[in-house]
Amino acid sequence: MIQLFHVSKTFPPNYRALTDIDLEINKGEFVFLAGPSGAGKSTLLKLLFRQEEPSEGQILIDGKNVTRLASRGVARLRQKIGLVFQECKLLANLTVLENVALPADVAGMSKKESRTKAYQLLRELGLKEHYDSKPLSLSGGERQLVAIARALVNDPMLVLADEPTGNLDADIADETMRLLFKIRDKGTTIVVATHDLNMINRYGTRVVLLQRGALADDLRLASRQESSK
Amino acid sequence: MKLALLGFVFRRVRNNLWQLLWTHLLTAGTVAMTLYIFGGFVFLEINLRQLLKGWGDQIQITAYLNKSVGEKEVQSLVKRIEAFPEVERVRHTSQEQAWRDFKIALGSQSGLLDGLPREVLPASLEISIKSAHRDGPVVEQLAQRLKQEKEIAIIEYPQDWIERLGLIVLGIEWAKWIFGGVLFMATYFIIASTVKLGMLARQDEIEILQLVGASEDLIQAPFVLEGVIQGVVGATISLALLWVTYQILLRSELPSLGGFLTPLGQIQFLDLTSMGLLLAIGWLLGAAGSLFSLRRFIRTWNASRGQL
Repeated sequence: MIQLFHVSKTFPPNYRALTDIDLEINKGEFVFLAGPSGAGKSTLLKLLFRQEEPSEGQILIDGKNVTRLASRGVARLRQKIGLVFQECKLLANLTVLENVALPADVAGMSKKESRTKAYQLLRELGLKEHYDSKPLSLSGGERQLVAIARALVNDPMLVLADEPTGNLDADIADETMRLLFKIRDKGTTIVVATHDLNMINRYGTRVVLLQRGALADDLRLASRQESSK
Repeated sequence: MKLALLGFVFRRVRNNLWQLLWTHLLTAGTVAMTLYIFGGFVFLEINLRQLLKGWGDQIQITAYLNKSVGEKEVQSLVKRIEAFPEVERVRHTSQEQAWRDFKIALGSQSGLLDGLPREVLPASLEISIKSAHRDGPVVEQLAQRLKQEKEIAIIEYPQDWIERLGLIVLGIEWAKWIFGGVLFMATYFIIASTVKLGMLARQDEIEILQLVGASEDLIQAPFVLEGVIQGVVGATISLALLWVTYQILLRSELPSLGGFLTPLGQIQFLDLTSMGLLLAIGWLLGAAGSLFSLRRFIRTWNASRGQL
């Protein structure tokens, strides 16, 4: 599903954010990218959704080399990836429903179809009452659920989440993580970047540990989620 | 672009125009004023050309004949001149006719002519020129050829006035493009600034759109469309203002300037080509201003935030 071959990233003038990363993530896997701040987790995610280009090495997603892509190719790649960020990145002037439907709209889905799909997702996540509200009227946890719904609206093959629970209370963070596992259970590959070791211990399936831009460890833990099945 | 994507673009344009309504209105107003001034020059030029054409229709060379020329010689001369390719028709005014015309023209003062011999006024030929040959050099050449006819004593034609008016029209045409050019440049930068303001106000939106997989074209299209709308709306307002001005001029008493403007008849509004030109300039200013701004913005964006 995701293959990285000797991937390095250097930012000008000479900051080495990632060094010689070799990594393979299978379809349907749930992977934590762990490590302290500055370890290169976010940079690695940015390489995967092509906000950044690797300085060296090759990245294959679903068998397609995404190392060098023109802007049209980047757009097409992102339509297949769901992105979730710590700060949610919702548009304040759009309603919850419009925010969730946005990736479907830009992928060329009809307005009716995208709204129907977005509403279904909101219903599944228990947010259907808020479909016509503006994001600022929601709580932090609700906003993050809306962001997750938005990430799922195009039925992505891959969801990349950068510190998705960083701003949430423990209960809401738990709920968010359980939701991500549920999505994984439907066959979607999930990569979550986090520095929260407690969370990793609670849920950790596979943990890829980064330190100072290098791959320090690749652990496969039995998660509570999996053991409870 | 898919129909659904077009719908998405139009929804964004509608929201964006609403969000920065006053900025967009001010820009459209600037476009309107620029094109109103430019259109005013076009309006003036069209009507002066019409005036020039009207004068052209009246251009005729008057050839005063020597007193010794007999009737047969006059007929022969008329036939020769009518054979010239530039000449439309020739009208002979005899000494007797000239005397009668002059008397009528004097009206109650005609008594002044009492006692004067009727031969005091010369016979003349009024030579009308075909419309295709009414420009300065041809008239001048024809006059020179007529001067060589021994029966003709004096040649008169209104060449100076025609040349002067021609120069005025040329001056207005130049002024239109010089003033227009400066105003267009100013308007172009105002539109570019409005679009830039719009993009700065919507940086978050642009970032989110690119993260959810919007193509570069899809992100840029609404901004270009907004610029085009500003340009076309501005051009339409300018046409409406020009129409109002035209109606005011029609209703007001224009000075006749002693018959100077008689050939003008009723002033004319812009023709379809000129109206199309104003709309096209508005469209072009809007599109060019927004594209220029977008390119610069995206270059800076790509440098600071990675691929758009």
